[in-house]
Formats: sequence, C-alpha cells, structure tokens
Amino acid sequence: MTDHSMTAKIIPALAITGAAGLVIAQYFIWVYAPVEATMGILQKIFYFHLPLAWWGLISFFIVFCASLVFLITKKPVMDRLAQTAAEMGLLYSGLALITGSLWARAAWNTWWTWDPRLSTTLVMWFIYAGYLALRQSIDNPQKMRAVCAVLGVVAFLNVPLVFLSARMWRSIHPAVFGSGGGGLEPEMMTTLLVCIFAWGILTIGILLYRVRQLDIKDRIKSLFVY
Amino acid sequence: MTSKDLKLIFSDGSGIIQPILLGLILVFVFSLSTPIGEEVSAQAAASIFWLATSFALILVFNTLYSIEETNQARTGLLLSPMPLQHVWISKAFTGLILLLLAQLFFFPAIIVFLGQENVADWWALLGVILLVDWGLVAVGSLLGAVSQGHASRDSLLSVVIFPLLIPLLLAGIRMGAHLLGGADDESLSSWAGIAFSFGAVFTGAAIILFPFVYNEY
Amino acid sequence: MPLNTQTGYFSDNYLLRLDRVTHFFDQRLVFKDVSLLIEPRTVTLVAGPNGAGKTTLMNIMSGLISPSKGLVEHKVPRDKMAFLGHNTFVYSGLSALDNLKFWAKVYYRRLDDDECMQLLSLVGLKAFAHEKAGFFSRGMSQRLSLARVLMLRPDFLLLDEPGTGLDPDSRKLLREKITQSAQGGAAVVWVSHTLEEDLDLADKIIFLENKKQAFYGTTRDFSSRHQGKGFEH
Repeated sequence: MTDHSMTAKIIPALAITGAAGLVIAQYFIWVYAPVEATMGILQKIFYFHLPLAWWGLISFFIVFCASLVFLITKKPVMDRLAQTAAEMGLLYSGLALITGSLWARAAWNTWWTWDPRLSTTLVMWFIYAGYLALRQSIDNPQKMRAVCAVLGVVAFLNVPLVFLSARMWRSIHPAVFGSGGGGLEPEMMTTLLVCIFAWGILTIGILLYRVRQLDIKDRIKSLFVY
Repeated sequence: MTSKDLKLIFSDGSGIIQPILLGLILVFVFSLSTPIGEEVSAQAAASIFWLATSFALILVFNTLYSIEETNQARTGLLLSPMPLQHVWISKAFTGLILLLLAQLFFFPAIIVFLGQENVADWWALLGVILLVDWGLVAVGSLLGAVSQGHASRDSLLSVVIFPLLIPLLLAGIRMGAHLLGGADDESLSSWAGIAFSFGAVFTGAAIILFPFVYNEY
Repeated sequence: MPLNTQTGYFSDNYLLRLDRVTHFFDQRLVFKDVSLLIEPRTVTLVAGPNGAGKTTLMNIMSGLISPSKGLVEHKVPRDKMAFLGHNTFVYSGLSALDNLKFWAKVYYRRLDDDECMQLLSLVGLKAFAHEKAGFFSRGMSQRLSLARVLMLRPDFLLLDEPGTGLDPDSRKLLREKITQSAQGGAAVVWVSHTLEEDLDLADKIIFLENKKQAFYGTTRDFSSRHQGKGFEH
C-alpha cells in the first residue's frame, strides 16, 4: 500500500466493526430469527454458510480484477491483493463447502450432491488451490506474478462455463430432492443481511491487513538483500 | 515452427510414446474395475477416454515447451521479429496433432478393453473429438510454459490445468457417451455449445495473455 | 554521470538510446541511471565485476526485458538485431543445417540450401551440416550460433560473453567476424570477461560498478583514467 498511515487507521476500524457486527449477528441468529419449522436449529448453519459462500465468490472476483489491473499497470500491490483474495476465497469457499455439506446431510440426508452451485464452488476451490500452489513454485518473483495474474484472469473467465456445465450435468440426473421451501421469512432475511454485512466488513479488514503484511514482508526481505 | 517441433518430437520418440503408453495403461487399469461379464457404461468409457487424453495433454505440452528450454532457444524466439502469438498457435497446432495421434491409440483401446462397439455416428464422433481437443490445446498451449524449469513440472501443470478443464471434460464425456450409444440425451447441441465457448474463450484469452506467460522477466 | 559530449549525445544517428535507465530485480536494485547511445559502426564494451548487472543491461538493450524506470529508444527493427550469448539457441535434435533454416524462417529470411552451406563453411562446419547438433562440442555449437548471426546480417549485434568455454581457434574466428561486422557498418555491443584482451577492438566502453554507471566514454579515455590500475575481475 502506498499510503501506510491510511490503511493502518482503517484496518483496526474495520476489524472492530466486523467483530461487533458478528457479535450482533449472533443475537439476530439465535434470538431474533425464528427456528425453522422442519429443520429445527440446524437451519442456523445457513447464516454462516451463505455469507461465506458469497464472500468467497467475491474474493475470487477480486483476484480476477486485481490480476487484470496488475497485468496492465504492473503494480506489485495488485499482485499482493490477488494473492490475499485467493487465500481468503479458498478459506471461505472451503468453509462454505463444509457447512454446506453438513447442511445437506441434515436436510437432504446426503453429504454431496451435483448441485450446480456446490460443484462450481468445489471446482473454484480446486482452481484457486492450484493458483496458490503455482505461486509457491516459481522462483523468479516477477515471472511468478505475471503468470499467476494470467491464471487469475482465466480462472474467473471459466466460472460461467463451470456453472453452466454443472447445471446441465445435473439436469439429466433427476433431482434427488425439490428445491426446498419457498421464500425466507422476513426475520430470517434480516438476519441473513446482517450476517452478510458483518462478514463483509471483517473480510475487507482481513484483506487489507494481509496485503499490508505482505507488503511489509517484501520490504523487510529487500532490506536483507541489500 | 510446427514442422520443427514435430521433427524433434519424432526424432526422439519419447515425447509421443510416453503419453500414449500412459493413456493405454489408464484404459487397461480402468477395465479391471468392472466385474467380468458386466458391461462398462458408455459414460464411463467416455470419461476414461477424456481422462487419458487429459494426461496425454499435460505430457505433450510439457515436452513441447521444454524443447525451447534446453539451450534457451526461448530467448531467441523472444528476440525474433515473430509475434509471440505465433508460438502459441504453433504449439497448439503441434499439440493437436500429437493429441490426435494419441487418441488414435486410445480409441481402439476403449473398444477392446471397455467393450464399446456401437458407435452411433463416426463423423459426429470425430467432430466432437476435434471440438473438445481445440479447447484442450488452447489451454495446454497457454499454460504449458508456466511450469518450465520446475522440478516436478508435470504434476504442477496437472494441478493448474485439470480444474480449468472441468467444464470442457464434462462436455466431452456427455457428448462421447451419447455417441457411444449410451445416454440418450437431447442436449447434445448445448454441450457442443459449452465446448465451443470454452475453446473460443480460451483462444481469445490466450492470444491476449500468452505473451505475459512466455516473456522473460 | 553525464554522457561524454564528444560521443554526440544530440546526434540523430543512433540505433539505440538509453536514458536514465534504472532496473530492479524484485525489490533489489540492479543499477540506476544508466544512459548510453549506440551508434552504427562502433564497438561498445560492457564491463564490470560479476553481479554488476551486465547481462541485465544487455537484456534491456535487446528489448528482452523492459526496465523498471527510464527510457529505451530502439531504432533498429527486430529482424536487423542479433544476439549471441552464452546460450547457443541450438536445438540439439536438429542437424546444423536444419537449425540454420529454422532461424532463417523465424526471421522471415528466404535461404536456400546452398546459402546455408556457404554460411556453415564460413564458420567451418560444412562437413557437419547434416549431423545432429546434439553431438556438437560447445565450440561447434557456438560456431553454429555464429552462423545464425551472420545469416541475419545485423545492424545491431549484441554479444554476451560468447567466448566463454571456446578454444583459441573459435575465439579467433569470433573476433574476426565481429570486427568484420562492425566494419560493415553494424553496431556491436559486447559484454566481455577479458577486458584487456578485447579493449583494442572496442571504440567505447561502459563500466558498471556499485549499481551504477561508473564510466562511459571512449576506450582511450578509459585507458588513461585507469592507467596502472588493474581492472581485472
């Protein structure tokens, strides 16, 4: 980051807001939102699952944007942002897959199903795991940045195709279950929005923090090289 | 460029024999997974065909790009007046030829080991193979150069490329299963659409992005 | 340091101009503020201790990499520029003749077999034209590489320690051909190990040291300045 004092101020603010938001979200989840009729308490997992899945996907989108900007401007900060977003996206989508799997087991009595969203998330998880593996293994840092930026771009271009193909793949197999209950109750919706918002603030905070950390790491490294 | 690469690959031989052997072994081992007397479904046969092809793809493109690494001829190509996209196209084209050659061996193996005999339409099958191969070599040629100089370049390249190929492979498997007389599937044209878009997207991306991958830093 | 005015900084007759070029590898400074001018018919030596960034400077001059900061102005079209370095660009699976024909194609030159054979005999490889380059010694590969350079008839020739690992005969051939090229009007830039040996061939010299351009000017000025001081490295 070019402006260190700015980010240094923003990060704690975001962290505190995010933490407070998550605490408030707990109130909404456990007290405010009604217990779902058929699934009972297990439905609460949904309030973790959805924000994680959303922010995971948004993180991957950030990888795409940052990679694109990096290829055009060659600014190292964009590369760091891409790396950070990939790490966050991987973590979030991984957690979303686990929570989703728990949910599926409880709701539909199966751990895994060819749901397009689920499969897309899994494929994305693999792609970005490969992305991070590639980052680790190219010695020349400048080359690594360019190559990974290319991968960051094509990986996201691939998403619509992954989603479409996963959906078509499933349409042949008859769906094991219906698409679940209809709309959400308004209280549930509010709770969900609160959760998404709280997780979002936290995510942005962690992203900035990690970008700054990588920046400092690079600068320390360059101190020793001299 | 293509003729040079082909000459080099065939003068040595190992560049093409290895992927063919690996693919054949895969098909054979897979045939062991079905109990005697039972038929292998067309979809399973198509899956194994494309899986063998994907492995061949990795090996083929690693070999193709390592040709330029031995005496740093890559630097020579970078300094030449030739646009870098030319390298991508030549490698993709050479890769396509080698891949088709490998598939020429895989296909009979599918028939023999996995008992797939009722091919519905040979021309459509050839069309499907070419369509999917197009997407495969577009990705292979774009990313084939990334793992050069790395000790475990084959496995690194597979980790990077395989997940990207999934939509294309699904399309290939579905269309293949259809043409091997298995699933009776109305959505052949939409799968072809997926494979086509995949090829188009990655060709476009490669033409813009390949210089970033291939350049010296 | 400012450029020697005698070298004609403001002249238009140059092939390549570098203006305050600074390069970082990752975050490490390789060198800063290198400015130079390459004119036709001159031989410029690039010298300096190991790790001073000679090869990086060559890569910037050839356009292989772009510098972190500063201006690089090329007036030579790519197909009139040739590079001869430690790496020979030789495909070991191809014969000497096929290697030459391949590079001719890459540079869009039309060359028939006779012309190729002529080039090969110039570098003393005629008898090995149809043998696979994989069996060649280092000296032979480098001769083949030289044939590639001669084929291009370059206006701008970049040499990065091409003499390393060569026998005296090959080195002599190399120097001979390079001098011929320069006399024929080409600009030659030469990274040299053996500064004292090569100094008499050169017109200008750029000396890199301590991450900067320690000297840039004519060899005469360089010799008088370094009188008595060894610049072995």
